[in-house]
Amino acid sequence: MIKFIEKPQSAALAFMVAGAVWFVVGALYGMVSAIHLVSPEFFSNIPWLVFGRERPIHVNTMLYGFVGTMLIGCGLYYMPALLRTRLWSEPLAWTGFFLWNLTVASGPLCFSFGYTQGREYSEYVWLADVSLMLSVVCIICNLVMTIVNRAEQQLYVSVWYFMAAFLWTAGNYPLGNVMWHPATGAMPGLIDSLFLWFWGHNLPGLLITPLATGAAYFVIPRATRTPLNSHTLSLVGFWMLVALYTHIGGHHVLQSPIPNWLKTVSVVDSVAMVIPVSIVVLNLWMTARGAGARVWGDPAARLVMGGIVWYIVTCIQGPLQSLPFLQRVTHFNNWTVGHAHIAMLGFGGYIALGAMWHIIPIVSGREIYSQKLVSLQFGLLTFGLTGFFLVLTAAGLIQGSAWHNGETVYRVLPELAPFMASRAALGIFILTGSLVGIFNLFMTLRHGRELEVRQLQRAEEAA
Amino acid sequence: MKMTPALLIVGALLVFWASSFIIVGIPAMTMKEIPSDDWRPLSAEEEAGHRLYVRNGCSYCHSLFVRTSDWDIGAERIAQSGDYVGQEPAILGSERTGPDLSQEGGEHPDDWHKAHFVNPRFTGPISLMPSWEFLGDKEIAQLTAYVQALGGKAADLRQSRQKKWKAPAMAAYAAGADRNVEWLHSEVPEPWRRMPNPYPATEAALQRGKRIYQEFCINCHGPIGDGKGPAARYLDPPPLNFTTLRRHLVENKYIGGIFYYQIMNGITGTGMPYFKKQLESEKIWDLANYLAVSFLGYTDAQLEPRGIDAAYEGAWRNSHQPPGQEAK
Repeated sequence: MIKFIEKPQSAALAFMVAGAVWFVVGALYGMVSAIHLVSPEFFSNIPWLVFGRERPIHVNTMLYGFVGTMLIGCGLYYMPALLRTRLWSEPLAWTGFFLWNLTVASGPLCFSFGYTQGREYSEYVWLADVSLMLSVVCIICNLVMTIVNRAEQQLYVSVWYFMAAFLWTAGNYPLGNVMWHPATGAMPGLIDSLFLWFWGHNLPGLLITPLATGAAYFVIPRATRTPLNSHTLSLVGFWMLVALYTHIGGHHVLQSPIPNWLKTVSVVDSVAMVIPVSIVVLNLWMTARGAGARVWGDPAARLVMGGIVWYIVTCIQGPLQSLPFLQRVTHFNNWTVGHAHIAMLGFGGYIALGAMWHIIPIVSGREIYSQKLVSLQFGLLTFGLTGFFLVLTAAGLIQGSAWHNGETVYRVLPELAPFMASRAALGIFILTGSLVGIFNLFMTLRHGRELEVRQLQRAEEAA
Repeated sequence: MKMTPALLIVGALLVFWASSFIIVGIPAMTMKEIPSDDWRPLSAEEEAGHRLYVRNGCSYCHSLFVRTSDWDIGAERIAQSGDYVGQEPAILGSERTGPDLSQEGGEHPDDWHKAHFVNPRFTGPISLMPSWEFLGDKEIAQLTAYVQALGGKAADLRQSRQKKWKAPAMAAYAAGADRNVEWLHSEVPEPWRRMPNPYPATEAALQRGKRIYQEFCINCHGPIGDGKGPAARYLDPPPLNFTTLRRHLVENKYIGGIFYYQIMNGITGTGMPYFKKQLESEKIWDLANYLAVSFLGYTDAQLEPRGIDAAYEGAWRNSHQPPGQEAK
């Protein structure tokens, strides 16, 4: 057996490094897609680089590859740490690592050549679905056994979220991907849209959200060196999240001919999502109250707190755009694209990056090569993403309003051109942010100053 | 409440599965697949096209359902649940970078689709759609078959209309340039044939017309209006050479109304689409003036009878004389 897969915390590190690599890959595909929306003849007629194929590569690589992978890496560190034990099996975690990344790699490898199930967020081919499910099962076994072997009696809120994310995904993913139909991964007829958006919304809601929330609940109290504001609030937030989130996928097909009672359920629960989201955000903000300087002064914590801010923006927008009257204008256009970016890169991505920078010194035993570069990454992403959000939201309002004023999709294209060009320009900042991150990570792991055991212990015990 | 491992694992699973049962379990048990009036099964070739549609990510830019509040193509038919029977998957779509396609079948003839798939800018000069030429003729034909089936029986009706008009259009073209124009004019309703363009062909109006020409017409009819744009080699009959119209003015002076009518309604059966969903009245008249002045060297703008002049119209004087009467 190779040595490194036995090394404590090596799988956590591997997940985090893989996440940083996928961030670059996903950003490159995003960049090319953005260019294609400005200039469709750029790289024209190249089969593996055509918009319909590169877009799902961008989306899936960012979701599962960057945000998902990196947050799992963070969790594989903080979960045993919070339970004052070791991860039950490091080789099992590595098995999960390979299976998970096999699925992510199947995106660029398969989609480029048209091997896709074609349903948004559920594109991976059946074998890749199986690989991902096996990975989730490996992680669940490992986490359950880690909980069983814990030395700390109390389960901290991050542990709930991290554990539950996989329990839910084990049910969510096969259902939404209709895995019992291997050839198409779909149900026949209109009902497929319900299965599709069941996972389509539970992917951010019941996989990325618990992973990111767990990481934020871990990092913020440590960075501020204050105890968590309220355990009761975190309990309420946790149970409301799963009770409400599961219901709301229907708002993606709100204007299609699905049954009306489903529309009602999805709208009501979408609006109710304001409560659990506010609870999480308030709980973390109250925890950090009076310690703002510590959060801002620590580039990693600053990224996590930035993610919380994007979370509240996303989740105010979400319920609003689920309202049928408003959605007539915001649906089908770039408004939604803007919303998706602040959810995945803003909320999930910021917290993943912040938690990674927070944890890397502990698992690698090396000091971050450059805190300035972490700050630079924060700056680049914040400028790029804020601009992105504003530009796409404005473009979406133009599209939605023009369409409802009787203009055809084709007629509105010239009005979008300046927005699409700005979006591509802003994408350069996000791509650069991903490159700065991987450079900093590489330099940390190769050349970062080694921490002494005493410093490491102090870092571990910081909470 | 203390969170124990049992509560965490059992509770999280219970709440999740209970919620999931409501949101996908009950619909799976209660939703029935009852074909709508327009539904029909897909042929083998259309099925193959559907697979291509799914595999190549067409759904990231095109939706497949029309909403009650939509105005674009297909707005006459709001989507019904029975439209998607048996389709696996029926990807409704979440984005309209391009138009909804649920009623696309029969909107255009097959040769238009060929030109459009090879390079979408051939038929829509500002389109953002990628070129699909690399798919090759066979797969483009399958995709076309699928797209032509979108809309079911309503699409079949539109397709039969395309086929019905294609035959006389091809025959007229084969009979020579002049016979072709005579046939085209004869299919324009009588009142339109003697209708002068009511808009003055001012410099500003001609500039607006030029912009419309460049955004909609240029890649079929060509930059000099001779019908030799890059799309022409895919289209049968090919696009009209506007310069031949100079010798076919009605009563040697009228052409505006004919332009307007044909831009508005298109020439079904040929690659010429209708533009009445895209362009409103003034834009079409401005375009007609642009075509007339640029490619015929003459416009019938504001010939008598013109009624009461619109308030904004200044003292524009039509300096264009009909052919044969030009000032020496």
